[in-house]
Amino acid sequence: MAVPQPAARPSRVEVTASLASAAPLARGEWLDRHARWLFIAPAVVMILIFSIFPLVASLLIAFSRVRLRAGTYSMTFVGFGNFEKQLVGSEQVHFLGQLTAFSPPAWVVVIAVAALLLWWLVGYARTQLTVIGLLGRLVTAAMLMALTLMLAATLLSGGQIGTLGVTLFYVFVGCAVQFLIGLGLALLCSQITRGRAFFRVVFFLPLMITPIGIGYIFRMMADTGKGPFATLWQWAGLGGFSWSADPWAARLIIVVADSWQWIPFIFVVLLAALESVPRDLVEAGEVDGASSWQIFREITWPEIAPVAATVMLIRVIEAFKLVDLPNIMTAGGPGTATESLTLHAFFAWRSLDLGQAAAVSYLLLFVTVVLCVSFFNLVVLRRRAAMAR
Amino acid sequence: MRNRTLAGGLLGGAAIAVALAVATPVRADKPYDGVTINLLTRPGPVIAGRLEERGREFTEMTGAKVEVATVPFADLFQKVLTDWSTGTNSIDVSVLSSGWVVELYDAGLLADLSDFVAKDDKLKVDDIAPYFREFNQKVDGKTVAITVDGDFQMMYYRTDVLGELGMAPPRTWDDYLAIAKAAHGKDMNGDGEPDYGSCMFKKRNAQGYYAIMSLAAQFVQSKGTSQGIFFNTDDMTPMVNNEAWAKAFEIYKATTEFGPPDELNHDIGDTRALVLAGRCAMALDWGDIGPLSIDETSSKIKDKVGAVIMPGTTRVLDWETGKLVDCTAEICPHAIDGVNHAPFAAFGGWTGVINAKADPKVIEATYAFLSYMNQPEQSNIDVTIGWTGYNPYRISQFENVEPWVEAGFSREFAENYLKAIGDSLNSPNMAGDLRIPGTQRYQGIVLDRELARMLAGEVTIEQALQNIHEGWEEITEEFGREEQLKLYRASLGLGAS
Amino acid sequence: MSIAPRPAVHRRWLEPARIGAMSPLGGIVAYGLLGLWAAFVLFPLYWVVVTSLKLPVDVNTGPYFLPWVDFVPNLHAWRGLLVDDAGPTFRAYLNSIIIAFSSTVLCVLIGSMAAYALARIEYRPRLVSILIFVLALVGACVAVGVAGIDWRVATAVALALFVLLARALGRRFPGAVHNGDILFWIISQRILPPVVTIIPIYMMFQSVRLLDTHLALILAYTVVNLPIVVWLMYDFFTKIPIDLEESAQLDGASRFLIFFDIVLPLARPGLAATTLLVLILAWNEYVLALFLSTSRAQTMPILVAAMNAGEKGILWWTMSVVIIIMILPVILMALILQRFIARGVLLGAVKG
Repeated sequence: MAVPQPAARPSRVEVTASLASAAPLARGEWLDRHARWLFIAPAVVMILIFSIFPLVASLLIAFSRVRLRAGTYSMTFVGFGNFEKQLVGSEQVHFLGQLTAFSPPAWVVVIAVAALLLWWLVGYARTQLTVIGLLGRLVTAAMLMALTLMLAATLLSGGQIGTLGVTLFYVFVGCAVQFLIGLGLALLCSQITRGRAFFRVVFFLPLMITPIGIGYIFRMMADTGKGPFATLWQWAGLGGFSWSADPWAARLIIVVADSWQWIPFIFVVLLAALESVPRDLVEAGEVDGASSWQIFREITWPEIAPVAATVMLIRVIEAFKLVDLPNIMTAGGPGTATESLTLHAFFAWRSLDLGQAAAVSYLLLFVTVVLCVSFFNLVVLRRRAAMAR
Repeated sequence: MRNRTLAGGLLGGAAIAVALAVATPVRADKPYDGVTINLLTRPGPVIAGRLEERGREFTEMTGAKVEVATVPFADLFQKVLTDWSTGTNSIDVSVLSSGWVVELYDAGLLADLSDFVAKDDKLKVDDIAPYFREFNQKVDGKTVAITVDGDFQMMYYRTDVLGELGMAPPRTWDDYLAIAKAAHGKDMNGDGEPDYGSCMFKKRNAQGYYAIMSLAAQFVQSKGTSQGIFFNTDDMTPMVNNEAWAKAFEIYKATTEFGPPDELNHDIGDTRALVLAGRCAMALDWGDIGPLSIDETSSKIKDKVGAVIMPGTTRVLDWETGKLVDCTAEICPHAIDGVNHAPFAAFGGWTGVINAKADPKVIEATYAFLSYMNQPEQSNIDVTIGWTGYNPYRISQFENVEPWVEAGFSREFAENYLKAIGDSLNSPNMAGDLRIPGTQRYQGIVLDRELARMLAGEVTIEQALQNIHEGWEEITEEFGREEQLKLYRASLGLGAS
Repeated sequence: MSIAPRPAVHRRWLEPARIGAMSPLGGIVAYGLLGLWAAFVLFPLYWVVVTSLKLPVDVNTGPYFLPWVDFVPNLHAWRGLLVDDAGPTFRAYLNSIIIAFSSTVLCVLIGSMAAYALARIEYRPRLVSILIFVLALVGACVAVGVAGIDWRVATAVALALFVLLARALGRRFPGAVHNGDILFWIISQRILPPVVTIIPIYMMFQSVRLLDTHLALILAYTVVNLPIVVWLMYDFFTKIPIDLEESAQLDGASRFLIFFDIVLPLARPGLAATTLLVLILAWNEYVLALFLSTSRAQTMPILVAAMNAGEKGILWWTMSVVIIIMILPVILMALILQRFIARGVLLGAVKG
């Protein structure tokens, strides 16, 4: 609302009076005029204060060797030393895994992935080419290729995978399983009429427990000596076998615990999204005689896809940081089989090797950012655009 | 930070109180009235519980208030170091692992307590067992820590199981393996299920590496505590890539065959639970099993358990060649009946250290409190109680059976248990834990990880030892070889080389 | 429908009785699967409850399932934590409640405002300004960290430099970023694991003397959870039809009025779900709590971790008690917020 313009030059008294009466309005107007900044400023300022200094400081640490001493700390600049140690130095086996010569299946996979990526890039270049778009896709492709090479040189050729490979396993296998089960439960729950509130609260329970607590709960659950399934375990003839001594079994148990904890998150958000899908659309589909699969694919999925993409992005980011469960359930064992990257950094940090901890964290950051930016640009934004259209 | 101003206010109050105390003789018996001691340790009841109880007594006596705060064990060192090195100084005293003392001392964070100890006649410093008096409490000849708990590992065995088998308690590791093999699969607690010959904690990033060091010490160290088990004391070359450590790794791996199937994921808590449930014929542990075994709410093995000094060996490392050689009187001067024992002060025990930056009056009061904890009148009772987590470190604690019998031990078991403790503590060949800067990295990262990988079959023993050698050299280079050598020698009671 | 042919017997099971409902067979399968999952969720919790009633010897010689049948329940763990150790337990409990609730309110308020702004207003900050800003701040951090210059001086110089340079260069380089980029920048704040930023954050709080206070943890939790709020609420806001706001705007309502009186009530289901999620994250956080508190502001998760008595084993029974008493207030909140979520569903149905 505009302040009424005085028609003629007012006397002094009038000005004072109108100013006094307009003061609250003026303040409201000031707020309103600057609303576009006032809305976003608190969040941005807080994040800036809390992110810039720690980010820069930890980046400095990643390039240094730090020692805490009385009343001070000493920092020695070591260049890329900390990163070199992880990628090519004494920590390579720990970080990347035991690199061996490619086996035939590894060659097949590498060539297949390379061909796929090339096909994707060429396809993009032919249709809608921009410099930034191409650059972004090149980085994405390079990262995917590098990860494929790493997996081919370790897992597919019979070598040990390092903490990077283990983390990727947790992220991709874990998140896929969680998404499928979470979506399935949300769909089921949105279909039923009675007891929905009950299931919603019950399914949400695991998320309420502190992650450390979940680690301990699952350590109890998975104890094959005195845990609740011990009898079943013995009866199945597995008395002499321990999941904690087998790398893949141990990783699987961690994924089970992680899923127990995080499926509720996906479930709740997707259920909220499903419930906001307009009912008339679905009913119209039913009247037209569409099968439930068709209704899901043509009506429901496009409606919930943007939320699903957001939820998965958040979940993937958290999954890259998985640390409490392997730390408590196996402490990274057997050997280094269940050690995630964050746990790797955490161990270094606990032993006060701050430089290594920061270097590992930044390598993790790099992988996560490239993968998440790709996911965001290629999936989330596209879903949102489809929704807007 | 409000804490400091509060403490400051209290100190002002204390000054007035002291002034009053001079004026009014009634208050003279409470020298530290108004002083607040902020103590940080690991959560109770273990360790912290007794500190709180004794703290209340201490307040009664001296007027100083003892505020006990706790953080989880695994994060304690980080927390203390950060608080003191960044100048936050919200903590006056911490009761922590003696393994961290040298690193804190090296960073210049610890108050020198030598003068206090010299003037303290209640402490009865000569009664403290030599290893704890000379190595655990001192760095560079200065007393900077006060022991409240003595930690070293012993071997426990089931008297009934070994009796049935007609076997004597193990003297060497060959004996140990033989007994474990014979006992494995027998039912030891009457539930009809087969039990285990040997229980050892092997979980990663837990206590697994203490067991391997306990084992290796037997083969590496034969010439007394000052020899050490980790590095060459002339040039800091790791003494790890040799037949002695290889043998220790072999035995460690071999015991897995006679243990529970998920032993690789057992930390000491899991192992103790099994021992107390009567499922293990033998176990390696600190002194705690003794008092814990007589507590019938958690134990099924009361009066069925015995203890001996850590099994030893007749073949020890020749430091020149890296090979194992037979013991002779010259090579193994401390051998008992030809068997070399090197009881390992794993972890070293809980000790109190005082912030050098604390107020002098607070330092004085804090010393008085730590001394109170350590004095025989208090500690000789505390060590007989299982839940305190305190284990013996004084000579009078294992020479006098009576307090133990009063605490509920049978006389026979008390004598057996105290003999094992005495044998260990009196041994001039006691092996000390590593106590130099970067200890957590040498042990907790490199040794622990390679050990776990070896057990999981990711690497062979030779590769693991080679990796440890290289990893340790890398850490030494990073911290500075000269500096590390100086401190390593200091921690072994040796002067400059 | 009345002229439809008589259904064959098997169709009774497969066809829904009316549009929008499930067929009976589908209903059985759905309830069966949901029940199965409920069991999978509830069993571990049941085990925690029975463990809290066990003596150490029952835990160590187990498994025992049913109190009174398999073992004699005992309240020793409950007594130990709530009676013998009442002081520290209740202090931690109170701290957790104060910190989690305050930070949640603050975080949801700030976060949903930002999310709304990003959903409705187009921002195009200049790329070059951002670059200069970041460089100025990085310079300031380096100056503080390496050269040891007082942080207040460094910040002032950096800001002055930024204002000058941004004005000078801003017009020449018109490249700008979009809302989507800002959104991604916000979520990217959660990518770096806390272990690497914890020491700098500790030093920040130390320099303003806020360590071991509630305020430190409230601020820290608000910031770390902001990205989640912004992201989730952004999606919920974009779903609200814009017509209502546009007509309100025509009536002369200010943005603040529109936001608080029209948009927030419409977004209530999403708001409730987000609040619950953020509350849970703040309630359960461990690493920051460990470092920013010593004794007076210590929260419950530290108590859970403390029950692993390190070299003396894990106190399963007491840990179970801590887990149970920790989850109770959250369940309460969930039940309260559940009503809002459910009401939102009704609203959606009406709207649809």
